[in-house]
Amino acid sequence: MLIGAVVAGVVFGLYFALVGLGLNLVFGVMRIVNLAHGDVLMLGGYAAWWLLSAFGLHPLVAAVLVLGVFIAVGYPLYYLVVPQLQRARDSEMLSLILFFGLSQMIEAVTTIAVGTTERSLPGRMLGIGPFILLGARLPKPWVFSGVVSAVAVAGVYLYLYRTRLGMLTRAVMVSRDEALATGIDVHRVSALAFGIALGLAGVAGVFAPFMLGSITPAMGPDINLTAFAVIVVGTLGNPLGTVAGGVIYGVALMLMQTYYSSWANLLPNLLLIAVLLVRPEGLFGRKTRRA
Amino acid sequence: MAELLTAEGICSGYGQVQVLWGAGLRVAAGERVVLLGANGAGKTTLLKVLVGLMPAWEGSVRLDGADITGQRTDRRVRAGLAYMSELGVFPGLTIAENLRIGGQFVPRAALSRRIEELFDLFPDLAAKRRALAGSLSGGQRKMLGIAKALAARPRLLVMDEPSAGLSPLFVQQVIAVLGRFRAEGAGLAMLIAEQNVAFLDLAERVYTLEGGRVRFSGTVAELHADDALHRAYFGLA
Repeated sequence: MLIGAVVAGVVFGLYFALVGLGLNLVFGVMRIVNLAHGDVLMLGGYAAWWLLSAFGLHPLVAAVLVLGVFIAVGYPLYYLVVPQLQRARDSEMLSLILFFGLSQMIEAVTTIAVGTTERSLPGRMLGIGPFILLGARLPKPWVFSGVVSAVAVAGVYLYLYRTRLGMLTRAVMVSRDEALATGIDVHRVSALAFGIALGLAGVAGVFAPFMLGSITPAMGPDINLTAFAVIVVGTLGNPLGTVAGGVIYGVALMLMQTYYSSWANLLPNLLLIAVLLVRPEGLFGRKTRRA
Repeated sequence: MAELLTAEGICSGYGQVQVLWGAGLRVAAGERVVLLGANGAGKTTLLKVLVGLMPAWEGSVRLDGADITGQRTDRRVRAGLAYMSELGVFPGLTIAENLRIGGQFVPRAALSRRIEELFDLFPDLAAKRRALAGSLSGGQRKMLGIAKALAARPRLLVMDEPSAGLSPLFVQQVIAVLGRFRAEGAGLAMLIAEQNVAFLDLAERVYTLEGGRVRFSGTVAELHADDALHRAYFGLA
């Protein structure tokens, strides 16, 4: 039972890493907390549900479409919103208010459009029967979603560490002021990161019905809490630390559900409080020499 | 010498607080200019206006005679201007990555050659090319900052207090490195904002900035000849 819980936890952890990755990318590059992150994820879920209902599209095809469309929407959305925010005197507080408002708006409009009924996608679309992994029997949709998450995370790694734009993105994460001083087009780099973050959230949303059971227009705040726990554990502003945060969260969640199931919902809060008290820079925070 | 950078009547500041009151300066091609001033004189603000990191409320900035007052920093960098801030490097990136970012607008093959040239000039950095810049000592970071700023072969290197946070020994090392570029006659112009008069060894001309206004403009010898300025910057010596 223990091995089963740990293996399932790792698979779920990869998915949770994908859930938190976009939020951490936006925070790392823009120092903005996107409180609408969970709602973007929810939109990705509904997009997959609509693409399947209306056109019979497989979730994997939906994920590719959602990724492209959300990046295409996120890029101009950045220019519409973020530069103005960053020029304001108290940009961090204003960004919280603005994205909270955006979150409420997305939830309200989605509720009007599709109602409050929970929606799900048939698990058989991602495989039937169990998948045996290290002796643990896992539903194939979990494994499928975990693999897609791992591919998405690897894609972000390749972008950040193997491309010129990714290197410039990391430079902006390290110091926005120095990036500006060096002549980096910070807005272009940030807009792309914002689009990618929305795309990642959308892809996570496509697989939410398989990993979380169902989707509703009101799921955004719960997702945000989970994503916060994952990125705080894995270090705020460090997108790849999110992977470790996701796996720790996933394994802890599965262990809680296996041995203390009634306490499982408390896990995000407990992890957040514990990490903030013991190691506020995150488990993988890196210190640099100051002199 | 042909004028490279010209700033006239610059007024700027932060929010409601005006810092610069009609400041101006000129740097000719290949010329080394030091902008002397105490803390709070407005040196950093003036440099930021020159490189496009802050807007000029009034006045103009010209590069090669073309008005660049409203131009973005990345365009100015492409035009041959490099700025070394007090931080100067990206601590969370490797030394090699810092240099590649410094030369971000240089074609890939040419940049690789340039980085190897810089590693020849800065052998301490070459030995640690994959180390994070944040792991370097203050003096080494300054050297990396200079190398990063030179990666794109700029025509004008604008430096904000390269002595900040350094011991006198490291300050002399920085001056020696910058002097080497002068000796090589690479045609590199420098504008160095400093409060440390040791940097006057590098200068062909000096500006002094006080309260956001240029008080003196001339050669180092002329600065020494002005009793009041001499006392202000060199004490009674």
